[in-house]
Amino acid sequence: MEQKKDLILKVSGVTKRFPGVLALNNVSLEIPKGVVYGIVGENGAGKSTLMKILSGVYEKDAGTIEFDGEIIEHTTPIQALRRGLSIIYQEFNLVNTMTVGENIFLGRFSENGGMKGTHQKARELLDSIGSKIDTYSLVGDLSASEMQMVEITKALSFHSKLIIMDEPSSSLTAEELKKLGDIIVQLRGQGISIIYISHKLDEIFEYCNIVTIMRDGCVIDTKSIEELTRSDMIAKMVGRTIENEYPPRAHFAGEPLLEVRNLNTSKLHNINFTLHKGEILGLVGLVGAGRTEIIRAIYGADKVKSKELIMEGKPVTVNTPRDAKALGMGLVPEDRKQQGLILRFSVGDNITMAALSRIAKRGILNRRKEREIAKRQIENLSIKTPGAATKVLNLSGGNQQKCIVGRWLELDPKILILDEPTRGIDVGAKYEIYVLMNKIVEQGGAIIMISSELPEVLSMSNRVLTICDGRITGEFSPEEVDASVIMDKAIG
Amino acid sequence: MSTKSVLIKTKKILLKQKAVLAILAMIVLMLFFDTQFFTVYNWLNIFRSVTVQGIIAMGVTMTVLCAACDLSVGGTMCLSGVIAVLMINFGVPIPIACLCALLSGALVGAVNGFLVVHQRTEPFIITLGMGTLLKGISQLLTDAHPIACTNMSFMQIANTKILGQIPILILYMLVIFLLFFWILRFTNYGRNCYAIGGNYEVAKYSGINTLAIKWSAFIISGAMAALAGILLSSRMNSASSVYGDNTGMLVNCGVVIGGTSFAGGVGGAAESFIGIFVLQLMTNCMDCLGIGSYVQELLQGIIIVLILGFDCYSRLKKREHA
Amino acid sequence: MEKTINVKKIVLQNLVLLGIIVLCIVTAIVEPLFLTQDNFTNILRQFGPLSFAALGMTYVIIGGFIDLSVVGTISLVGVVTLSLIDPIGQAGALFCGLLLGTFLGFLNGVILVKFGAMTQAEVLFITYGMSSIFGAIALIYTNSETEHMSRLSNPYTIFTFIGNGKIGPFTASIILFVIALIIIEWFYRKTLWGRQIALMGGNKTAATLCGYNMKKTLVLVYTICGLFAAMGSIVLISRVTTASPVAGAGYETDAIMSVVVGGTALAGGTGSGIRTVLGVLLIILLSNCMNMLGVSTYLQTIMKGLVLVIAIWLDNRKEQQIH
Repeated sequence: MEQKKDLILKVSGVTKRFPGVLALNNVSLEIPKGVVYGIVGENGAGKSTLMKILSGVYEKDAGTIEFDGEIIEHTTPIQALRRGLSIIYQEFNLVNTMTVGENIFLGRFSENGGMKGTHQKARELLDSIGSKIDTYSLVGDLSASEMQMVEITKALSFHSKLIIMDEPSSSLTAEELKKLGDIIVQLRGQGISIIYISHKLDEIFEYCNIVTIMRDGCVIDTKSIEELTRSDMIAKMVGRTIENEYPPRAHFAGEPLLEVRNLNTSKLHNINFTLHKGEILGLVGLVGAGRTEIIRAIYGADKVKSKELIMEGKPVTVNTPRDAKALGMGLVPEDRKQQGLILRFSVGDNITMAALSRIAKRGILNRRKEREIAKRQIENLSIKTPGAATKVLNLSGGNQQKCIVGRWLELDPKILILDEPTRGIDVGAKYEIYVLMNKIVEQGGAIIMISSELPEVLSMSNRVLTICDGRITGEFSPEEVDASVIMDKAIG
Repeated sequence: MSTKSVLIKTKKILLKQKAVLAILAMIVLMLFFDTQFFTVYNWLNIFRSVTVQGIIAMGVTMTVLCAACDLSVGGTMCLSGVIAVLMINFGVPIPIACLCALLSGALVGAVNGFLVVHQRTEPFIITLGMGTLLKGISQLLTDAHPIACTNMSFMQIANTKILGQIPILILYMLVIFLLFFWILRFTNYGRNCYAIGGNYEVAKYSGINTLAIKWSAFIISGAMAALAGILLSSRMNSASSVYGDNTGMLVNCGVVIGGTSFAGGVGGAAESFIGIFVLQLMTNCMDCLGIGSYVQELLQGIIIVLILGFDCYSRLKKREHA
Repeated sequence: MEKTINVKKIVLQNLVLLGIIVLCIVTAIVEPLFLTQDNFTNILRQFGPLSFAALGMTYVIIGGFIDLSVVGTISLVGVVTLSLIDPIGQAGALFCGLLLGTFLGFLNGVILVKFGAMTQAEVLFITYGMSSIFGAIALIYTNSETEHMSRLSNPYTIFTFIGNGKIGPFTASIILFVIALIIIEWFYRKTLWGRQIALMGGNKTAATLCGYNMKKTLVLVYTICGLFAAMGSIVLISRVTTASPVAGAGYETDAIMSVVVGGTALAGGTGSGIRTVLGVLLIILLSNCMNMLGVSTYLQTIMKGLVLVIAIWLDNRKEQQIH
C-alpha cells in the first residue's frame, strides 16, 4: 500500500493488436513519482503505441492502467491532459498559425481571462522554466527547440504530474539539449515524473533514473540506470535469435552497377556510395536520418543541389522518376497506401501500372497483355486474391505490398529500391518478400533496402551503410561485424 | 539599428498584406488622373458599395477559417431578399419578415453544415450545387421577375442617411465588422475556429468541440448572407432572382485575396474586409477612369487568377522546402 | 444474406439507370404522349451542347480535378466562330473555333501546372478566374452584342446542318456526339495517355513514382475539356443560329451535375464518358418529363440543384464506404 502511493503510473498487462501485428504484448511498467524514466527500443518495439494508449489516442485491448492511484478504463486525449498526463510528440502538437500563448492555452482561452490573461499566464509559465520566448510570436516561426519549450509549458499549464517526451532531442542542437536537460532536472525537482523515450543512449544515461528496454512489443528488462552499461542496453535492444526468420543470404555481388557521387540536398550532405550487381545494400539509420531522402533523390523524385550518377560505367542523368524507370530502376515506396497503391483500383491494375508504358505499342494498350501480366505476377508472387479484378484495398498488407513489388518485377529492374518493404505485414508474408529479394539478386539485379527493423537489414544485406543526420557514417559487412557496432554508428 | 528593424518589419507586414499594397498602389495611381476619385462623395460610395459583399464576407470568413468554404452565399442572399419582400407584400410586419428571412439563411447554413461537417463532403462543390438549388427556389417564388416592395418603410432600413450624408449601410457594415473582429480575435469561440483550421487534430485533442464549431460557422455564414440579402433588397426596394449570380464566387475570392487562406487558420475579419475592398476599389477606380465594364471584368479575372495562383505557388514552394 | 447485399450493391451502382427507367415508366403512365416518336426525337434533339461540355468535363473529373472555365470557353468560341464565317469561310471558321477551344483548355492546364495547383479547391477558383477572363474577352470582342447568322453574307450550311440536319431518324448533332464519344472513350480506355488520366485521378504520387508525367497529363485533360467545350459551343450556335457572349452561363454546373449524376466519382480515378451520357440523359428526361407533366421551369431548376446536391452526397457516401 505504501509503495503504491509513490507510483504515479502503473501499467499492467497491456496488450494492443493491430491487423496482422501484435504491437504490445502484456506490457507492465511501474513509474514512481519524481523520476526520469527512460524507455528504449528499436523502431517498432511498441514504445509509441504504448504512449498513444496512455494519452488516449488508441484504446487498449487488454490490461489495466492506473494513474495517480486511479484506475483508468477509458480516456480521451483531453481527459488525460486534465488528469495531469501530458505527452510531447516528436512531431509537435501545435497549431503553427497561432501564437505561443494561445497554443499553451488552446481551447481554454476564456478560462484564462481572454487574450490578455492568456498571454500573461503563458508568460509566467514560460518564465518559470527560464524561457524568453515572446508569447505573441507565431509558433510556426519558432525553432524546434522553442516549440519544445512551448509544449513543455503547455504540459505545465495542465499541472501535469507525468510528462512523456517522445524523442525530445531529435531536432535539437547540443546547446539546446543542455537547456532541455536543465529543465528536466528542474521538473523532477518539482515532483513531476518524466518518461523519456530516446534512441540516443548518452541522453538516457545522463538523465534517466530507471530504464525499461522494449523489443517486439514486450518489456525485455527494467533496471535502474546504475545497473546497466551501454553495451548491455544495445544487446538487449537488438538481441534476439534470428534463426529461420530469414532465408539464407544470397551471395552474388559482382561489378559496380550504380555509383552515386556527390549527392547533396537540403537534408543530405555529400553522399557517395557504390551499388554492385547482385547485391543487397541496406541503409540503416533512425527515422528522419535521411534514408528515404537518399533513395528519393537517386530516383529523381526530389529536388537535389548536386548529384552524379554513374550506371555501368556511364554517367546518367535522372531528373524524374520517368528517367529512373527508363534506366531500369524501380521504387517500392515507404507509404504503401499514400504513395504506392491506387486503393480503389483492382489488383490487376495496380500490378500492371508500371508496365503499361512497355506494353503500349505506339501508345495503344493491350488488355490481353495486361491480363497476362497480372496473372503472371499473381502466380509468381503467390498473391492471395480472389482474382485480378478484386479491389486492392481488400487485400492484406503483405499481399498489397507484393502487388507493388510485382509491378516492378514485370520490368526486370536492374535496381530495385525497397523502402520499408515489410512494414506492417505479418511474418509469413515477410518471409516471402525476403525470398523474392534473394531471387531478384540471383537473377543479376541489385537491391537497395531501407528498414527500421535492424535484424531484417542485417540478415538480408550483403553490405550496410549507416546514415545519421543526412550523412553516411559507416560501411559494414553485417556478417563480419556485430549488430551493436552498427547500431552504435547509426545512433551517432 | 532600431529604425532598420522597424523598416524590415514594415516591409514584412506589407509583403504579407499584398492586398493593402494593391490598395495603396491604386490610390497612388489615381493621383495622376484628374477624376472624381478623391471626393468625399466617391469614397462614401465605395464604402456603401462594399457593404453587401463585406457583410457576406464576414460569415464566409468563419467557414474559410475552419478550412472549408461557402459558395452558396449568393443563392442564400438572393433567397432571403425574396422571402423578406414577399412576406412584407403579404402584409407581415417588417421585423417578423426580416427575422424569417434571416432564419431561412441560417437554415441553409445548417443544411450546408450537415453535408460538409457531418457527412464530410467536399465543401466547394456541394455548396456550389446548393447555390443553384437556392437560385431555383428564388426563381420559383418570384416567377423570375423582380418584385417591388409595396411597403415603403422597408426601403428605409438601408436608404437612410445619418450625420447628414453618411449612408446608414456603412454603419451596419461597421457594426458587423467590429462584432466579427471581436468574436474572431477575443472570444474562445473565435480562437477555436482558428485552431480548427490551423490543425484539426490538435484542436480535437485539445478538447475543442470541432464538429459543433465548424457546423455553427456554416450557420453564421448563411445568416450573414441572409442579412446582406435583406439589406440589398431594402436598398433596391425590390427582390429579384438575378441578384447574387456571381456573389458566391466573388466573395470567396475576395476573402482569399485579403489573406484568409483556404488552408484554414490564417486571416480574419480585417483581412477579408480588405480583400473585398480591393475588388470594389478596383471597380471604382476603373469607373472613374471610364474603363468599360467588360474590360473591368477582364482585369478582375486576371487579378483573381494571379493572386490565387500565387497563393498556390507559395504553397508549392513551401511543400518543396519541407 | 449474400444475395440481398448483392442486390443492394447492384442498385447502388446503377442508380442512374434505375432513375431513368422509373422516370420513363411514371411519365408514360401519367402522360401517354411521352412514348410518341415526336417526343423521342425531341429528347434526342436536346442532346446538344451540354452533352459535349459534360463529356469533356468527365475526363477532368476522372483526373481528379474540375473545370469551371467551360462557361467562358463556350461563350468565347461561339462568338469568335460565328464572326469568322464571313472573313474566312465556314469551314475555316469551324476549324478555328475548335482550335481556339483547344488552346484555351491548354492554357488552363499550363497555368495550373505553373502555379502548382494540387487540390480541387485551388483549381476551382483559378478556373473560375479564367472563365471570367474568357467571358470578358467575348464581351469586348462583340461589344456585348449578339451575333446573328442570318446577317452573314457567306454561306453557313455546315452550321445549319449541325444545328438542324437529320440523317434518318437521328439529328446531326447526336451523330456527331456519338462519334466524338466513341473516339474519346477509345482514347481513354485503350491508350496509355487515357490510362494516365485515370492513374492521375487514382493516385498522383503513385503514378509519378511509376514513371508517368502527371504535369503533361494534367495539361492533356484540360485541353480535351477545352476542345469539347468548343464543340458544344459550335453545336449551340448552330442550333440557335446566334452567338451571344454570355451563352455559356450555367453550363459548368450542368456539366458537373451530369458527370456526377452519371456516377463518375468526384474523387477521381473512376468513371467513363458513357456514364456521363446516362447522366445527361437523366437530366434531359427529367426536364422533358416535367415539361410533359406541366411542372414550371423554375421548379425544374430546383430539381436540378437538388439532384446535384443529392448526387454529390451519394457519391461521397460511396467513397466513404471504400475507405
